[in-house]
Amino acid sequence: MEGLLFNVNNGYIEGIVRGYRNGLLTGANYTNMTQCETIDDLKLQLGPAYGDFLASLPPNPSTSSLAAKTTDKLVAEFRYVRANAVGSLAKFMDYLTYGYMIDNVALLITGTLHERDTRELLDRCHPLGWFETMPVLCVATNIEELYNSVLIETPLAPYFKGSLSHQDLDELNIEIVRNTLYKNYLEDFYHFVNNNPDMAGTPTAEVMSEILEFEADRRAINITLNSFGTELSKADRKKLYPSFGMLYPEGTLMLSRADDFEGVRLAVEGVGDYKSFFEAAGLGGGAGGPGNMAGGTGSDGKTLEDMFYQKEMEISKMAFTRQFTYAIVYAWVKLREQEIRNITWIAECIAQNQKERINNYISVF
Amino acid sequence: MSGAADREAVFPTRQSLGLMKAKLKGAETGHSLLKRKSEALTKRFREITRRIDEAKRKMGRVMQIASLSLAEVTYAVGGNISFQIQESARSARFRLRTKQENVSGVLLPAFESYLTEGNNDFAMTGLGKGGQQVQRCRETYARAVEALVELASLQTAFVILDEVIKVVNRRVNAIEHVIIPRTENTIKYINSELDELDREEFYRLKKVAAKKQRDNAETDAEMKQKRENQEALDREAGESAAADDSAPADILAVDEDEDVIF
Repeated sequence: MEGLLFNVNNGYIEGIVRGYRNGLLTGANYTNMTQCETIDDLKLQLGPAYGDFLASLPPNPSTSSLAAKTTDKLVAEFRYVRANAVGSLAKFMDYLTYGYMIDNVALLITGTLHERDTRELLDRCHPLGWFETMPVLCVATNIEELYNSVLIETPLAPYFKGSLSHQDLDELNIEIVRNTLYKNYLEDFYHFVNNNPDMAGTPTAEVMSEILEFEADRRAINITLNSFGTELSKADRKKLYPSFGMLYPEGTLMLSRADDFEGVRLAVEGVGDYKSFFEAAGLGGGAGGPGNMAGGTGSDGKTLEDMFYQKEMEISKMAFTRQFTYAIVYAWVKLREQEIRNITWIAECIAQNQKERINNYISVF
Repeated sequence: MSGAADREAVFPTRQSLGLMKAKLKGAETGHSLLKRKSEALTKRFREITRRIDEAKRKMGRVMQIASLSLAEVTYAVGGNISFQIQESARSARFRLRTKQENVSGVLLPAFESYLTEGNNDFAMTGLGKGGQQVQRCRETYARAVEALVELASLQTAFVILDEVIKVVNRRVNAIEHVIIPRTENTIKYINSELDELDREEFYRLKKVAAKKQRDNAETDAEMKQKRENQEALDREAGESAAADDSAPADILAVDEDEDVIF
């Protein structure tokens, strides 16, 4: 049914995005890239995909500038798609950018808290998370002013409302603020894809729910694992878990009570995928566990983080098997981000001459 | 021979000879002491050089691992977190104590690193994702800084020791090649001057003695002559006295003798 009118508004966008997806690097490309001896070789290998964006780089560029240029391409393409989007797809894409906005706002709040010149920070913000009123954030000089007169003008205002006061901004760790915002954002996004009349009951809602549920679970697990040994109390930790996802509510309740790696493993036992992740990570010397700061060489096996990325990429790949859905835009952005990370990782390994771990990238095509 | 030129400006007296001998003895003691010091320092220096070599290799390895772990963080977090890290760091976790080590009277600064416990300013960075990598990276870099601190204290010791060894060796050489030969020369010079004086004195005495002898011989000869003359006179007078009572010659009555001059 949804296929009847989808192409009237969104057919062009879907075509474009599917075209972009075909431009993603494949396994063969990655194999070629890992054979490179220098960054210049790598640049040459990236030529077909990123040619015009990498052209301005000097010979043997730094990995960070390489990453910046590849991100530029994603941003340019995203902006083009966004400019052509209408109606609920435009709104959907705006939702996509909110995640980056949260990072940017957190950055600016940090700057304001430490009384830095926040204008310098604008350059460091993620371009996808740029919004029109962002430079205005720099006007505020103290946190109360920022909260009362500036933050409410941003698209993120609803996420602040009700869960954070301006005292919280001052007192809480910025990471808690960021994760609270992110939790609110994920819940809102989830609500949006399932209740918007254009999306409810369509493949978009189906696919996006899967992706967002996974994202929510991943955050919950990561927050739990990373909070061991910090001053984050269990009650505070519980507040950061999104209230949906495959783990919700029993799993998250158990997560909130977990004290160690083993506790987290028990909490996620109910979900087959996560269970297997934890078993694999547990076999790899418990690399995901805190206190195991072997550092340096790291584990030979994949870490939990790697497996989450792998899973995310697979879900994103599967999204393209569906027709008439907005989810492909989301999936494309995630795939491209992973590609940028892969390129950066490979470039880093080449630059540092650490070839033995160069194959740690994640490729799904 | 540098003999005349390379000596100290002293008067060749017995007192200064004594002084010089004391000085020579002092210089020799000092020389052997300094030589021993220089050897001790050089031994230490070699050891430090070896340890610097080790530390540098270690640093290379550790830094490589550390920068790879930073790359891992970039990969896991998927963005630049340097600003958050910079802003959330409040007090130093990794601190240094400096102490001094005494090697043959040379004070070498030694740095000792220690971690302040329970000081984790960015424990929550990457709470959402990548937190473990951030912590692991922090540990790795702490180790890298440790290696750097070790290397820094070795390098400082290296520079200081190098300087000190140069000074000590210069002193040893100065004593060995300048002060001791000069003092020896001075002693030789004083000795030769004193000998010269002795010889001069002896010659003078000899001269005086010779003159005296000659003078004595002259007076003796004169006396003898005089006596012979007298005897001849007496004989004449005796012949005449035989004629006229031939009274014994009255010495007292005779005209005064000529004074004998020695």
